[in-house]
Amino acid sequence: MKKALSIILLFFLFLISYFIQSNLFSWFTIAGIKPNVFIILVLYIGLYAGRRVGSALGIVFGLLLDIFMGRQIGISGILLGTVGFAGGYLDKNFSKDSKITIILMCIATTFFYEIINYIFLVLMYKMEFEILAIAKIAIIEGLYNSMIIIIIYPFTRWVGYKIEDIFKRSNILTRYF
Amino acid sequence: MLIILVTVSNLNMENISGVENAFSMLVMPIQNGLTYLKNRMAGNDSFFTNINNLQAENKELKEKNKQLEESLRELEVIKAENSSLKEYMKMTEKYTEFSTIPANVINRDISNLSRMLVINIGSKDGITENMTVISQEGLVGHTISVTEHTAKVQTIVDSASTVSGAISTSRDGILLKGTLEDKKNLKATFIPAEATLVQGDSVETSGMGGLYEKGIHIGTITEIVNTKNITNRYAIIKAAVNFDKIETVLVIKKGE
Repeated sequence: MKKALSIILLFFLFLISYFIQSNLFSWFTIAGIKPNVFIILVLYIGLYAGRRVGSALGIVFGLLLDIFMGRQIGISGILLGTVGFAGGYLDKNFSKDSKITIILMCIATTFFYEIINYIFLVLMYKMEFEILAIAKIAIIEGLYNSMIIIIIYPFTRWVGYKIEDIFKRSNILTRYF
Repeated sequence: MLIILVTVSNLNMENISGVENAFSMLVMPIQNGLTYLKNRMAGNDSFFTNINNLQAENKELKEKNKQLEESLRELEVIKAENSSLKEYMKMTEKYTEFSTIPANVINRDISNLSRMLVINIGSKDGITENMTVISQEGLVGHTISVTEHTAKVQTIVDSASTVSGAISTSRDGILLKGTLEDKKNLKATFIPAEATLVQGDSVETSGMGGLYEKGIHIGTITEIVNTKNITNRYAIIKAAVNFDKIETVLVIKKGE
């Protein structure tokens, strides 16, 4: 029951993120580059709720984004699913209690997401590969995302532990002791 | 007794002003309060009728204010509608040869890798895929997917977009591609070796390929980059449309 409720809550968070991304960040940009709050959301879900929930919700959110705004259905689904999976995997090997680790994870996943997404696009639409442009986008977007993480860190930590408590109750103790 | 009375009554008032002051300081506040109460009691009826009147008046004024505010809002809506209709008029007058459907932009792209728009008309309004979308300034792009009430538009500055264009003076054909780096400019390639390009020349759609209608303004040449090999030279075309600020567009109906 609690799990279902928290999944509904996460879905609401996704909708809020969508409105923030499409309204606020369409003009609040750094050098014309927007952040990607969906990467942050799915990474956090992966970190706190585990890789199964992370990748499942990542795929669902990604497919929804593809339907809403994408050029073709699938790419964001696969990539956000991978980000969720990576979140769960990283949680096993790194501590998410440190701000720096989360920031580094966020930068790495943003790089991965944008660059693979771009390679997909280049192959699909036979576009010119603009390495400098994509590097600039990935770097600025990664930094922008980490700035957002710093701002929302206390809130996400609080919500994150609540979610972890619901999804990984049996595993928490074995992880700490 | 009489002597005392005479003496006191003949005392100069100024000599006892200190005592008076002290007394009045003690009494006056209470007196003021009492007088106020007394007056209130005396004018009791008028006080309450006044309140009733005021309340009624207040209610009436509030109602009036509300009505005025409503009509102001209505006027504002009409004003906005008027300006957008005027804009549509200007656009339709400009492109009289096409049969068009006006639309508003309701969403912009959320990703950094593509530049799409969502407009508020869809299959119910007769929109299908691959319809040309224009604005007052020039070419915007084409529809790539349609739902009942919305349509996704791939703009010409999207990095996956290619438009077949022609220089309006010399009619030389060129290929215009959107780039990831630049949101406002297009890169013109496949420029014929014999073609002469001049900065400031305007570029329009050539109609080749059948995706875009012929003769729609795209932009102006701002820079020509010559390379060692003349076939590799390219030009930068500044798009006529400002994609960050675009709000109203027209969709050209196919085959009409």
